[in-house]
Amino acid sequence: MKPLVQVRDLRVTFDLGRHGRLIAVDGVSFDLAQGEFVALVGESGSGKSTTALALIRLVPPPGFISGGRLLWWGDSKGEPVDLLQLSEAQMRERRWRDIAMVFQGAQNALNPVMRIAEQMMETVRAHQAMPRDEILDRAARCLRMVRLEPSRVLRAYPHELSGGMRQRVLIAMSLLMSPRLLILDEPTTALDVITQAHILEILREIQEQLGLTMLLLTHDLAVVAKTARRVLIMYAGQIVEEAPTVTLFESPYHPYTRGLLQAVPTLRGDLTGKRPIPGAPPDLRHPPPGCRFHPRCPYADEMCRRVEPELEDVGSRRVACHHWRRVAQEAPSQKL
Amino acid sequence: MERGRTQMRWVRRVLLAALTIWLVASITFVVVEQAPGDIFYLMAQEIAQARGVSIEVAYAQVRSMVGYDPTRPLLDRYLEWLRELLRGNLGFSYFYRISVNQILFQALPWTVFVLSIALLLSFGIGVLLGLVIAVRRRSWLDPMVTSYASLTDATPDYLTALLLLILFALNLKWFPSKGAYDSNLSPGLNLPFILSVLHHATLPILAYTLENIGAWALAMKGSAISVLGEDFIAFARAQGLRERRILTHYVGRNAILPMVTGLALAFGGMFGGSVLIETVFHYPGIGWFFKFALDHRDYGMMRGLLILTTVAIVLANLIADLVYPLLDPRIRMED
Amino acid sequence: MRTFLGDFLSALRGNRRAAIGSLILVGYLLMALIGPELIPMDSTMRYAERFRPPSLAHPLGTDYAGRDVLAQIVHGSRDVLAIAILTALFTTSMAVGIGALAGYSGGMVDGFLMLLTNIQLTVPAVPVYLLIGSVFQIRDPVGFAVLISLWMWGPLARAVRSQILSLKEREFIEAARVLGLGTTHILARELFPNLTPFVVIHFIRMMRDAITASVGLIFLGLAPFSPTNWGTMLNLAVFQTGAIYIPNALHYVIAPMAAIVLFQLGAIFFAHGLDEILNPRLRAPA
Repeated sequence: MKPLVQVRDLRVTFDLGRHGRLIAVDGVSFDLAQGEFVALVGESGSGKSTTALALIRLVPPPGFISGGRLLWWGDSKGEPVDLLQLSEAQMRERRWRDIAMVFQGAQNALNPVMRIAEQMMETVRAHQAMPRDEILDRAARCLRMVRLEPSRVLRAYPHELSGGMRQRVLIAMSLLMSPRLLILDEPTTALDVITQAHILEILREIQEQLGLTMLLLTHDLAVVAKTARRVLIMYAGQIVEEAPTVTLFESPYHPYTRGLLQAVPTLRGDLTGKRPIPGAPPDLRHPPPGCRFHPRCPYADEMCRRVEPELEDVGSRRVACHHWRRVAQEAPSQKL
Repeated sequence: MERGRTQMRWVRRVLLAALTIWLVASITFVVVEQAPGDIFYLMAQEIAQARGVSIEVAYAQVRSMVGYDPTRPLLDRYLEWLRELLRGNLGFSYFYRISVNQILFQALPWTVFVLSIALLLSFGIGVLLGLVIAVRRRSWLDPMVTSYASLTDATPDYLTALLLLILFALNLKWFPSKGAYDSNLSPGLNLPFILSVLHHATLPILAYTLENIGAWALAMKGSAISVLGEDFIAFARAQGLRERRILTHYVGRNAILPMVTGLALAFGGMFGGSVLIETVFHYPGIGWFFKFALDHRDYGMMRGLLILTTVAIVLANLIADLVYPLLDPRIRMED
Repeated sequence: MRTFLGDFLSALRGNRRAAIGSLILVGYLLMALIGPELIPMDSTMRYAERFRPPSLAHPLGTDYAGRDVLAQIVHGSRDVLAIAILTALFTTSMAVGIGALAGYSGGMVDGFLMLLTNIQLTVPAVPVYLLIGSVFQIRDPVGFAVLISLWMWGPLARAVRSQILSLKEREFIEAARVLGLGTTHILARELFPNLTPFVVIHFIRMMRDAITASVGLIFLGLAPFSPTNWGTMLNLAVFQTGAIYIPNALHYVIAPMAAIVLFQLGAIFFAHGLDEILNPRLRAPA
């Protein structure tokens, strides 16, 4: 599969003045192939949102991208473009046109004093001149793709729509410029389960119909199971495991992944043996030495405390753990 | 159903406004009637002497001028006066011996003229400044505006007016120190008159404006900063919208909403300040006449002007209530 | 209580604006308390010495009758500050009383009191002061303080009322447990800590507004009961002695102005700093 984006050694630092420095994303590398549906999983504070924001170079101050390369192959030239080398003006052009991102929390992502139609027109007009009717046509098409009724929604103000509808409007807006990559940050949090399922369905549909590359950020493994073909697990600013979804669920190789799977009860399964991961994510101003997960890891030993594990290739997956073999053998499989 | 609710809300607002005006008017009536000295008797005496009529006739004349019989008990006086008030009669000037309405017909336009321009200027400039310093936090503009705001907050409006008067009118003599226009000119839509009016109005307008710009700027800065932190701003950036556009249509339009409610309040406050500022500049608006009434113990005029001021402010508040939903769609009750 | 004062003082030291502000305020307080004893006021009129510029003998020059301006400022500060403090006290009492009554009673009492509050907030103060002041002939600082506080209690009253309203909702839960006996005790224990910082900041604001209002009213000639009151000085300078027209006499006009502005600045800085100390969210990032 041809790559669309190649992230190499991405590093994002937050300068907190007298509170110190925090490396929120520490040497993250991964590929996104064209037409893939990938999930980026992690708790809040794992750095996944920051990674996504870095892809469109909108890390908010006091954060800044302190290293790495973002290779963009979507321009269909021979050579990739390093997005980090572009000027702000050039990057601004690419935003939404090449990469669109739907934020977490649809509640406030829309301008309260503008109608939906106006906002969608703003979006398009920021990138190309187009007559009003054409824009509205395109807007209507995008709205239908998320199963919203254009005549009703276009005239409305954000507060007149429900949370689920607003989320779908955001997704529709993200499709306006036909981007190559669509990033969704927790698209279903704060929505009820039924709406959640609805939205995930829509996302799958869109991805299949339009052949988009989707990167979905979530902490909820159930969402992953329903949508993504490949999963990246992030912990404390680093990628700790990466695998095709089915493989990951069947047998996780990283203790953290295993912990995540064990913490999620299924509708049918019994609750015995379900437990959350003890402890809490580390303070990234002073990350633990060695493997960052070792304070919470049942497999941790002296080496884990001193040596940071590298991300190794193991078959169709990558894993960063000294003891992945033991984990692989011991972990009971989780049927989807 | 929605429309019914909106109308109910409106009826309540108007009733409340009317109630406010009535209460203020009544209280001022009662207060003035406590004033020492029997002015009416003195007036009757004067008229009796000047026109050679009997005291009773003179008293009747006083009564018709004032609008109520000063000899009747308080409640009767009050009811008569209230009836006159509802007909729009603001009362009687004890000094000038004419109806207050006549005075205010001349004076009110000047005050409204100066206040409106001053409000527009201070609001417009202040809000723009506030927006700019909210966005450019580290520029030299921020501390300058904040210091300026502190300084003008510390200086009462009449002192600002005095300083302007001393500097620009008395020392540099760039501007006149009294009047609304050059008395040699004839009022009308001719250019010399208009220029003279503007010339005379400059310092009073400047006094109000300089005094208030800082406050507007700081208020807008606060509002804009909180809007800047909102998700929809980040989302707009993520969509690749130009910063300029985001500033005006996304930050500006949202940040200005809380300011609008302050406009009516500011208008009210400026009416109060007009007494002091118009006195300093000898500007013949209702503030100046209020001070004049004070000097001559013309309680009738003071009462009338106070009621008028209240009406103006209550109206301004009502209009602001009417306009605000037009700006903020979340407050609208559409059916 | 002791630790609160200790915390307060150390926080004050850390916050430069508040420190400067409090220094200024303390300075004025001292000036009002002991200044008149230190700097005697010579009221004899020596017209030969009118409007002398600042010199060693007269650091702020002389007025229209040859009297020392600095002495007048110092002596006037007593009146001005007395009015300010008295007004703030009266206003606070009224505001807390009205707000508490409204919040606690609810119903028609609340409605009526809120109507009054709205009126107080809508109608501008200066005309009201002038009208009442001229009808009821104010003759002394206490009367002045009462007058001004009559039209100042609105904002604090509203704040007290909403505090009580929010407490009432919680109080029901408590009352169910405590069998109604602890109601006043709870109010005292819950209300005061929450309200105190608010009241303190309002108190300073009231003092500031009282000075602005009282000086302004006396400036307009409402009740010149004291010849050294800064407002009287301004009134004399602007309206009666023509000092503003005489370039050499400007120090006589500027002196009371500067005294007022400096005090206000001190109060503003102090209040700013106080706000930052009491609301840590407002503190500027280090």
